[in-house]
Amino acid sequence: MSDAERGTYTESEVIMSTVRVVTPFVLTFGLFVTFHGADSPGGGFQGGALVGTVALMLAFAFGIDATRRWLGRRVVTVAASLGVVAFAAVGLGGVALGGSFLDYTAYKALPLKKPVKLGIEAVEIAGIGLIVGGVIAGLFFLTAAGPDADVDAGAGAGPATGDDTGAGGRGGDAE
Amino acid sequence: MTDGLLPLLVAVPVLAAVAPPLLCLRTTGTGWYVAAVACAVEAALAALVVRSVFLGGAVRHVVGGYERPYGIELVVDGLSAPVVALVAVVSLGVLAFAYTAGPRRNSFYSAYLLLVGGLMGVSVTGDLFNMFVFLEITGLATYALVAADRSGRSAVAALKYLILGTTGASLFLIGVGYAFVETGTLNMVDLSERLAGSYGDRAVLASFGFILVGLGLKTAVFPLHTWQPDAYSYAPDTVTTFISALVSTVAAYAVGRIVLTVFTPAFFEAVPAARAAVLAFAAVSILAGSALAAVQTEIKRMLTYSSVSQFGLVIAGFALVTSDAVLGAVVHLVGHGLMKGGLFAAAGVMAARHGARTVGDYARLGYRSPVVAGAVGIFGVALVGIPPSVGFLGKWYIAVGAVRAGAWPIAVVVFLSTLLTLSYVARLLERLYFAEPTEPTDPAVGAGTDADAGAGTGADADSEVGARDPDPVADGGARADSRAPAAVSTGMVAAIVAAAVVVVALGFATAPFEAFLERFLGGVFP
Repeated sequence: MSDAERGTYTESEVIMSTVRVVTPFVLTFGLFVTFHGADSPGGGFQGGALVGTVALMLAFAFGIDATRRWLGRRVVTVAASLGVVAFAAVGLGGVALGGSFLDYTAYKALPLKKPVKLGIEAVEIAGIGLIVGGVIAGLFFLTAAGPDADVDAGAGAGPATGDDTGAGGRGGDAE
Repeated sequence: MTDGLLPLLVAVPVLAAVAPPLLCLRTTGTGWYVAAVACAVEAALAALVVRSVFLGGAVRHVVGGYERPYGIELVVDGLSAPVVALVAVVSLGVLAFAYTAGPRRNSFYSAYLLLVGGLMGVSVTGDLFNMFVFLEITGLATYALVAADRSGRSAVAALKYLILGTTGASLFLIGVGYAFVETGTLNMVDLSERLAGSYGDRAVLASFGFILVGLGLKTAVFPLHTWQPDAYSYAPDTVTTFISALVSTVAAYAVGRIVLTVFTPAFFEAVPAARAAVLAFAAVSILAGSALAAVQTEIKRMLTYSSVSQFGLVIAGFALVTSDAVLGAVVHLVGHGLMKGGLFAAAGVMAARHGARTVGDYARLGYRSPVVAGAVGIFGVALVGIPPSVGFLGKWYIAVGAVRAGAWPIAVVVFLSTLLTLSYVARLLERLYFAEPTEPTDPAVGAGTDADAGAGTGADADSEVGARDPDPVADGGARADSRAPAAVSTGMVAAIVAAAVVVVALGFATAPFEAFLERFLGGVFP
């Protein structure tokens, strides 16, 4: 697998320089979009997609294998998983506080300034943003690793990406 | 109080699906335990919800506190309660089967739990667009599970299913779009109120057509079934057991929900052609499925085509829109899930023990695996519709409903399909018990229990493979059958026997089914 990748990767000064310059802006723009969304245009899905793309750009410039090793499988898996957990926690928190699922008004019981806005932001940023970013990066590395990669021990996680795509779909629906 | 449990029914498995990949960072092989805990919790939640529906009628939960028509509503009523119970019970049962049968990868259980969440979501949602989302989650998880054999064939089968399943979901979405354009709402109850009076509109008719064809693809009724034989045959036996019992079942439930709750019987009265079209669709599926099943030599393919026929029956029951037929359809939906799940599980055990994949391979296995073969016999007889069994109950009420509705062709088709079902079940039973003993060197005839036989049949399996009927779909016999369970445990046999007992016991369960559906049917047929 690494042989095949070394075969496909060409070190290009043009691509590397471009990516070096562009990456911080893409990342910033992604975060900018992510952190808007509750009361202005933007959202976790679009922002998460942009942030996830950063990993793809780095991989194209510096080699997929090298980027995967640098990023680490843990980061990708934990990001996507935490997203699902955050989404569910905000949703079920509403039930726990006596409201219904994803009922942000239930958070008025807590000493928060703008509970509804904070609830939406939490789902957008910590939930959907993390899921989409993590899944895009994980799915890319997993696809690049080829069909013979050991899903349980490889980068990302196989059906787990399917899992998170699904949960992302749920998030997108609630968005 | 119990309404707070509805989001948990969906959230618990989805949340638990996150744990296996996280645990993967430290250990492997822990996925099964996560799934076991999640499915046990899920079963307890489902039991509470179903009990509450039984005692007090439909349970509603308004997501986010946005009342209809704006928000998403989760509802469990008399129609969905049996399906919720079936999903909870079967997912727990198949998990028991999977402990020894495998696959044991963590990622497998992630997809498994996600599928449970998707199936529950389709069953409990009261919102048409939300139903599409959950159908997609169900689909995505199923594609991953079908490919879990990790062989080329299963990957191709999963890809085929992915393409056709996505087409089906897209058609469903187009139909939902038409309904939304026409009414401006997505809530099922609200839709039914606003659709009343505009049944003749082209957009409404198009909506009905697209939704029905989309769900027909997901349910796999003839001629939209072409993904199913490959997907079922090349998936690991554990997966086939799981998805054959639940995935098409939930899609067929969605058909019933659309026909009865969204479009309501008044739509069929206003547009008799729509009813006639669905009934014709179902009747063709019943006959073609049975006929195709009767000519198969491979067991899993035979059972798949049988499913095509049985789901035709269920859809006919819903489309007849009489209370008897709907009762029959729901009973058959639940009954078929248990029978077919049990049959596929038994087929997996037979493949693991004796390498048997074709009808010919089943010769005299009734004496070598008496318990499992007995269960196959019970499931088969129930599938034909011989009392006392849940199969009889379902077919009986659908036939009675057809006669009372004056739809004689459907009654005749049900009868014909029973004969065709008998033809392939009888062929299987004849092989199991009455085939001439061609292998005199078999010392294990009639000896011991199934559990004992399990360990010692490896040699038998070797001697059996290869010399049998030419099998167009077998893996060539060169390498071990990767789809079959890794080993056969007493627990697996016990799970199959338990399913057989439930299939027979539910044959006496008219009263509980009627109690569930009484209020629901009272609302649909005033």
